[in-house]
Amino acid sequence: MRRRALALSILSSTAVLAVGWQLGMQAQTQTQTSSLSQTTDAADSAAPATTGTVTPTATGASGTFAGTAAQTRFGNVQVQIAVADGTITDVTALHLTDHDQRSVSISNRAAPVLRQQVLAAQSANVQGVSGATYTTDGYLTSLQSALDQAGL
Amino acid sequence: MLLRTAPVDAIRQSVPARERTLRTRRRMRAADLMIALCWSSVAMAVALYLAYGGVSQVTDMASALYAGGVVSGLVGTNLILVMLVLAARLPLIDRVVGQDTAMVFHRQLGKPALYLILTHGLLLTIGSALADSSNVIAETVALFQRPDMALAYLGLGLLVAVVVSSVVAVRRRFPYEVWHLIHLLSYAAVLVALPHQLSVGGVLAADTVQRVYWIALYVLAFGSIGLFRFVVPIVRSVRHDIRVASVEPIAPGVVSLHLIGTGLDRLQTQGGQYAIWRFWTGSTWWHPHPISFSKVPTATSARITVRSLGNGSSALGRVSPGTRVSIEGPYGIFTAAHRSASKVAVVAAGIGITPVRSLLEYADLHPGEATVVLRATDLGQSYLWSEISALPSMRGNAVFAVMGPRPAGLATWLSAEALGRGVTIQSVFPDLIDSDLYVCGPQSWTDLVIRDARAVGLPEQQIHVERFDW
Repeated sequence: MRRRALALSILSSTAVLAVGWQLGMQAQTQTQTSSLSQTTDAADSAAPATTGTVTPTATGASGTFAGTAAQTRFGNVQVQIAVADGTITDVTALHLTDHDQRSVSISNRAAPVLRQQVLAAQSANVQGVSGATYTTDGYLTSLQSALDQAGL
Repeated sequence: MLLRTAPVDAIRQSVPARERTLRTRRRMRAADLMIALCWSSVAMAVALYLAYGGVSQVTDMASALYAGGVVSGLVGTNLILVMLVLAARLPLIDRVVGQDTAMVFHRQLGKPALYLILTHGLLLTIGSALADSSNVIAETVALFQRPDMALAYLGLGLLVAVVVSSVVAVRRRFPYEVWHLIHLLSYAAVLVALPHQLSVGGVLAADTVQRVYWIALYVLAFGSIGLFRFVVPIVRSVRHDIRVASVEPIAPGVVSLHLIGTGLDRLQTQGGQYAIWRFWTGSTWWHPHPISFSKVPTATSARITVRSLGNGSSALGRVSPGTRVSIEGPYGIFTAAHRSASKVAVVAAGIGITPVRSLLEYADLHPGEATVVLRATDLGQSYLWSEISALPSMRGNAVFAVMGPRPAGLATWLSAEALGRGVTIQSVFPDLIDSDLYVCGPQSWTDLVIRDARAVGLPEQQIHVERFDW
């Protein structure tokens, strides 16, 4: 390789790596902030309870139902659903994968998408989020147990 | 005060000389930029991981292995995409460094890329096994069951097949066509690996800049392959409607194929270039032949000359007139446009005369600018020799014939007889240092010419070689 080509390669590669590093550091700061708020959310709803009443009417159940915590290798996942007349009106994540910062950032990204998918499908039969396989699996497992409790 | 003007002759010669210098400099700058771009893309692959915040996750042995696995996968795939681009016959790459140089680089990248991909699989499996405190086999089974992972393992298997079949020792056992067919699987290997890159890892997750960049790389690599290896050749072949006009045997085993077509001058072939031809008969269409132009094409006709080397090319002597011919090319930088010095020195041996014939025909040469040495073991190999001295551009330029066998047990490109007379590369080309040296002949012979030229101190950019061994 000619000297100029070598110099150019080293220079541009270093620049690219430095920018990558910098972006990574920024991303990390952001994740730390969001993971902090995540923890607070989880603490607020530390004692989830099923407050719904399963009424044997044609319209179906109403109330909130917390699913069991599903264990994944990146941490537990637990969700709670709000049901009105047999319709899922909301899904709240009580706990998401938080094994390390990477899982926190992945689950933070995946949770709103999964919530939308579940609300649209009205079941645990959704596509899931690519790149968040573990979160998806845990989310849907916990969701299914909540759905079972609600008799949906 | 006396104002001096340069003599008329000096002006006439200095303009092309300066243009040549500028062109050479521009070409070298472009080559350097391409190399830098190539390595920067590798750095970019690592930077994707850094920007994603990967480093902060490395806390223990398991996560370190995991991170190493992800990075080696990114870099390995990046190298494979670079290999695809190098093999795509991009006009820019061919013009700047030549397709054969690009392919040398392509071949060098093959094994490192495979090793990186194997490392990727290995490190990720071990890393995950450590994190889950399970064993490697159980982890492999678990990984295999995750979405898109079966495809990824398939890609890995294909990749191993492709690289192993290309190792020289193995490659010799297969006919070219079988090897080529296996090699085409590399496209499939890279494609089936894509889903798991996008779905399993976090680096290329949805809605990230990384994902957009990565898909753009894939589009670039496959786009250039599709465009320059398939679309352009098909369009050219259809547009120029090339057919065999006649087959002219010029020596035992050597034929000139006269071709006719429409608008062949629009191919903008430069003397010294080659194209990859396919002859559409039942038994020859699947065999591509790289053959040099032995004459610069006119609007309606072209001539290529070939010596039978493999099974396929001996069948070429039996192609009947009217056979449809498709073309990929023209390619090659064995041309006068790549000159960088003021004089021209040419050495050709055997069928290597073919590109030399069209090179000299196309080159705009002044009397005394070029010296040509034609080399053959006996008179039976002196193909097209009479045409060389008859070229208008060769007027006032010397053509030497060096005939006879090489001396036994001595590595030389000259004949025993010429060596006995004390002939050396410097005695035939007294101005070699100020010349561009064009060499075309059998590979081992070519290497010896280049060895002598380098020993004299000829800079690399003044050495031009056309390889016939692929």
